[in-house]
Amino acid sequence: MLKKEQNEYLTQTGPGTPMGELFRCYWMPALLSEELPEPDCAPVRVKLLGERLLAFRDSEGRLGLIDEFCAHRGVSLWFARNEECGLRCPYHGWKFDVNGQCVDVPSEPAESGYAKKVKLKAYPLIEKGGVLWTYMGPPEKQPPEPEFEFCTVPLNQTFSSKRIQESNWLQAMEGGIDSSHVSFLHRGDLANDPLFKGAAGNKYNLGDLSPVFEIAESDGGLLIGARRNAEDEQYYWRITPWVMPCYTGVPPRGDHPMHGHFWVPIDDESCWAWSYDYHPTRPLTDGEVAAMKDGKGIHVKYVPGTYRPLANKDNDYLMNREAQKAGRTFSGIEGIGMQDASLQESMGPICDRTKENLVGTDNGIIMARHRLMRAAKALVEKGVIPPGVNPEHHKVRQAALLLPRAANYTEGAKEALIAKKGVRQTSV
Amino acid sequence: MQSETARVTTARESSYRVQYPNSKRRDVKVVALDALSASLVDEVSREPWNGAKFFTSLSFSTDSAPGTTGEGLKAWLKDLAGAANDLVEEVASSDFVVVVTSAGEDARAVSLIADACALHNKSLVALVVPGPETTDAQISESMTHLRPFARMLVIASGADYISAMLTALRA
Repeated sequence: MLKKEQNEYLTQTGPGTPMGELFRCYWMPALLSEELPEPDCAPVRVKLLGERLLAFRDSEGRLGLIDEFCAHRGVSLWFARNEECGLRCPYHGWKFDVNGQCVDVPSEPAESGYAKKVKLKAYPLIEKGGVLWTYMGPPEKQPPEPEFEFCTVPLNQTFSSKRIQESNWLQAMEGGIDSSHVSFLHRGDLANDPLFKGAAGNKYNLGDLSPVFEIAESDGGLLIGARRNAEDEQYYWRITPWVMPCYTGVPPRGDHPMHGHFWVPIDDESCWAWSYDYHPTRPLTDGEVAAMKDGKGIHVKYVPGTYRPLANKDNDYLMNREAQKAGRTFSGIEGIGMQDASLQESMGPICDRTKENLVGTDNGIIMARHRLMRAAKALVEKGVIPPGVNPEHHKVRQAALLLPRAANYTEGAKEALIAKKGVRQTSV
Repeated sequence: MQSETARVTTARESSYRVQYPNSKRRDVKVVALDALSASLVDEVSREPWNGAKFFTSLSFSTDSAPGTTGEGLKAWLKDLAGAANDLVEEVASSDFVVVVTSAGEDARAVSLIADACALHNKSLVALVVPGPETTDAQISESMTHLRPFARMLVIASGADYISAMLTALRA
């Protein structure tokens, strides 16, 4: 349960809000590289943290993320011509470069220098791991580039997708650190999904529906350990890292690619659910990539030409009561990603946490909220850089392993939880 | 026509969600297992709570009256006013129990509380609070000791987290 003012504190991320200031300390995924595939391609509208922006790749391949609207009379530059190293507004021909600098005002003599006095707000946009990342904070505080393992392995070892989620970011992210729902909501998929099935560890998930949780703070966020009973006086541990403010990793299964999410606010009532899959030591197979593109695993099928899921609230998420009754799916919704999204969206655009009834096993969620509020307060009041900004905090891995019952997961899995180049994930 | 699933999740329709209370007051018992955590629990107890009860120490007598732990020992919880309360009765009347221990301190008493929780089917949440000088080995030792008994085991950052957790759990 949160008080109303705490709920508002955590869920509002627009400019000037405490959580908005917190998010503006980090590099965040903004677009897939495929959305700006080549120089002078069509610009793309982007809305992040309550700000309407426009992304484009200029004639020389440079990336820009600028205020969507022309400084002249407020026309959307989505209609602009992307030509000769800039976006030219089709209304009166004003032109802007990737830094938002106006470089041409045709109605004014070039010698007047008028164009130099006009500049749109612009944020840096960098390409890493098939993802375009932006940093929306003060330039003087721009951190080093992100080092999450999924975006540092060779491109043939990684795959990312995104889907729009019609809910506040926090209720989406909280699903990512609440691994106790897997044994219920996703149980049908453990046996059937090509990116999940066949792992030896699945039997522990299905055989023990009452995992016991242990939570520890890490430098960048939290390590959430869920243990289930296993044979030979061992526990089966699944360890989920959360890196502030919105990165989560799903513990791996067998040699399947590892996956996880970013939950990036679009505005206070919608967010981008980013889903990544990667393998630390080998290229993804054609079959794996085909499955990901087909919406398997944590990915989804799209409404053609969009990043909106094909199963969405307008078609009741393609609810299949027969599959639910037969136990093929637990909720009647197909696919892990949409099983999560359908329930999280059903909470409403911003979940009313004053009415929730948490239990002891929700301590991961409680602690994440607490760390977010504490970090935002320290940032706003004292300028303290929050956890998760330092790229060293990104070099964490999810893990699944068997440990003797007396062992502590933070120690027994210490090496497994560090991302190391060329070293395979620890998985069962 | 908009689906009912879409309509019901709009901000406008969210305002029609029923506003009646959906739960009753929780009876939460918070027990410090050592002197260091007792001061934390004492600090937290000064905030306004919905009936949570706080205890700063556990003691034993050899009384074999009802409420024994099964080994001839009777356990008593000392509340903030200094009064002794029967452990088993306190656990029996709770919804769940939270124990707080400082990393590296003696946390053996948890086994008695866990026995009482098991007897009455109550969940036990354990918080380990490291101090500024605490070593990883001390944290590890505390975790190892608590693990068999707790449904949820948390390395907490201090009194502010204990407060946040109890607030979240409607204590």
